[in-house]
Amino acid sequence: MLKWIKKLNIPGIAIGDIVLFLFFCAVAEHFLSGYNLILILRNCSTLLIVAIGMTLTILVGQIDLSVGSVVSMSAVVVALLNNAGAPLILTILIPLIMGAVVGFINGILISKYKLDFWIVTFSTMSIMGGLALVIANGETISTKNEALNFIGNGRIFGIYTVIWLTVLVSAIVIFMLKKTKFGYNIYSIGGSESVATASGIKVVKNRTMVYVLSGIFAALSGLVIACMTNSGSPTVGHEYTFSAMAAVVIGGTSFEGGKGGMVGTIFGTMLLRILASGLSLMGIPSTWQKAIIGIAILILIVTDVISEKRKNMKGLRRVYLDVD
Amino acid sequence: MALNEENVILKMTGITKRFPGTLALDNVDFICEKGKVHVLLGENGAGKSTLVKIISGVYTRDAGTIWYDGKEVNFTDVRQAMAAGIGMIHQELSLLPERTIAQNIYLGHEPMKKGLKGVVDYKKMIQDSKELLDRLGVELDPNIPIHKISIAQKQMVEVVKALSQDVKLVIMDEPTSSLTSREIQKLFNIVEKLKEDGIAIIYISHRMDEIKRIGDSVTVMRDGQYIDTLDAATVDLNVLISMMVGRKIEKMYERNYCQLGEVVFETENLTGLRFRNVNIKVRAGEIVSLSGLVGSGRTEIAKAVFGYDPIDSGKIKLMRKEIKRPTPIKSVANGMGFLPEDRKSEGLVQPMTISENMVSACLTKTFPSRFLNTKKESEIGEKYVKSLKIATPDVNKVVEELSGGNQQKVVMGKWLETGCKFLIFDEPTRGIDVGSKSEIYKLLDSLTQKGYGILLISSEMNEIIGISDRVYVMKEGEVTGILDRGELIQERIMHYAVGGKE
Repeated sequence: MLKWIKKLNIPGIAIGDIVLFLFFCAVAEHFLSGYNLILILRNCSTLLIVAIGMTLTILVGQIDLSVGSVVSMSAVVVALLNNAGAPLILTILIPLIMGAVVGFINGILISKYKLDFWIVTFSTMSIMGGLALVIANGETISTKNEALNFIGNGRIFGIYTVIWLTVLVSAIVIFMLKKTKFGYNIYSIGGSESVATASGIKVVKNRTMVYVLSGIFAALSGLVIACMTNSGSPTVGHEYTFSAMAAVVIGGTSFEGGKGGMVGTIFGTMLLRILASGLSLMGIPSTWQKAIIGIAILILIVTDVISEKRKNMKGLRRVYLDVD
Repeated sequence: MALNEENVILKMTGITKRFPGTLALDNVDFICEKGKVHVLLGENGAGKSTLVKIISGVYTRDAGTIWYDGKEVNFTDVRQAMAAGIGMIHQELSLLPERTIAQNIYLGHEPMKKGLKGVVDYKKMIQDSKELLDRLGVELDPNIPIHKISIAQKQMVEVVKALSQDVKLVIMDEPTSSLTSREIQKLFNIVEKLKEDGIAIIYISHRMDEIKRIGDSVTVMRDGQYIDTLDAATVDLNVLISMMVGRKIEKMYERNYCQLGEVVFETENLTGLRFRNVNIKVRAGEIVSLSGLVGSGRTEIAKAVFGYDPIDSGKIKLMRKEIKRPTPIKSVANGMGFLPEDRKSEGLVQPMTISENMVSACLTKTFPSRFLNTKKESEIGEKYVKSLKIATPDVNKVVEELSGGNQQKVVMGKWLETGCKFLIFDEPTRGIDVGSKSEIYKLLDSLTQKGYGILLISSEMNEIIGISDRVYVMKEGEVTGILDRGELIQERIMHYAVGGKE
């Protein structure tokens, strides 16, 4: 039994998810109800789409702080375009292109011109967040469109469209990371940039591509949020940057780069959403929820750092073969 | 040596490479034949690694021509050299610990699925890796991640990685430095197989015994210059050593040996991450040196003693007092000073002034009131600017504007002000011009007159021979020889550093 579990290679965090789930089933009323479980999954989907991009940037050893602002901007753009009577295809494509452009700017400045990724993505975060407020005039713009509403709230074979979409995107990225050359390159660059360079990998191109994807996923999430809420709020993405970072790190992807993956991020996202839902249903005020989630993340990261340090020490040791 | 022009795979002429401040390669010629092992020999910093990095496209040359496989070539990055069939086994292991053996072997040139663009054929990768490993007699499962195998096995994976493409020339940069004799034999068997396949091998090594075992020819380099190429089978090893060492010692060193005082520093069977059973003793008025090749564990000892790295077992005594679980704070409090190899990032706070740096290691001692006193700070700065002859208009100059030699003097002043009695100098003259070097040696000598005990770590033989009272020579983390002042000649130090015990 144990061997079988080991073979599946489920990250330790999955057990955390299960324990937490059972805990809330026991203590929180209405937690184990069809309505609530679907709500949790729907809440997972928007965060997970952003966290996918975040997984990629953290895997190459960096970070993208601009994703939250891109989420907001995308939601606003969707609402404005729809209200302006733009064709559906443009209402969907333009925000995604906007995300790609922001990602490209981040990527090229960071990988080609070697600017610090914190500063660059902090700046684009500020720019996009500010512009979203400007074009929305600081207000939430409501909008109405059958097709958009179908993306956000419709169902296919009885399951929400957003959930289908999230599963599809996750599956593509898992495949990409595990099976494609691009995925391999992401791990190589994150593992060691100098090794990747010495092995003939095009570091600048691959890294830029990672930021482009990060931007596109953030924009996709913004689009989905606009469809779900039938509105575009210029501040809706605020919490997404740090929640996505938390989901990735809880999922076992290390800030050092080159270590971790998508499966962990899925469980990390679920952990955050289960926590939030369970704590609310227990009647714990949202202010306290934040503090509790923070403590949970801290514990996870501290244990990760300690075990990582031990492993590094082991690698440094000179091995004498005459001692057993 | 007779040369069969048809067999030549690589021919380099007049290769020159400059780095800021140094001439790394000066008009070097080098020829390599198919199916032959060409050993490249030289001291640390002789230019061997730079030369092979030019061949493999890591560096570009400033002058000279390279013919490879019948054509004149001009590789500007690693990818081109790899595509042309040049494989490189790096000195520092360049594997990704989290990825599997197969993924590392095919790093950057993974086999692709036919018809599916960009999709890696993992099955084929595993199969090919297995074949390669089997062919070379390495028993390893290609599915295991790298961090689970030993350093020696990693070294083997490096070799396999270099051979995973169609290679015509393989460069091995000290491939045996972390292998045991059995594993070395395995590696040499692989080299023999490669030779049979007509692959040329450039083999960099410090180990004299290996030259005759696998070398066909040997080229000696010294100070970035080509010295000579000889037939490996008939060459006299002593001739090679003197060719490597070469230059005469200049009158740079002044040493007034004085009456020795009590023991200021001592280790007993000290064992740490990369060294074991080290016994060192330093007395007041003495300069004791640690010699050995890069990676022999010299710096690691200093770091462990000062408290940067943990210690497994053994004792450290300062002024006869045992320091248990040393930390830098304890070491400084007990009279130790450490002048690190990397002055820029570890020795000084670059954007701070000379006098600010001088007092930085002993703020509480200098300012018992806990408030800074800039006047007192300047006085201390002035004192050392005068006594150490630091070339600066005033003590408020920011240290990053000083030359390397003057920066090193500021680090010295910083430690002297703490009132320490025992100083560790890690490569004190690296990157410092000749004039300042001799000044640093004079200062070291004057410190011994004043009763300081000094532990010197250096890669420069001349320096060690010129000023040491006693030298501990290290190899692979162990002290292999102890030489007193009268016995210091380069050949003997080299003997212990590359060979065995007496």
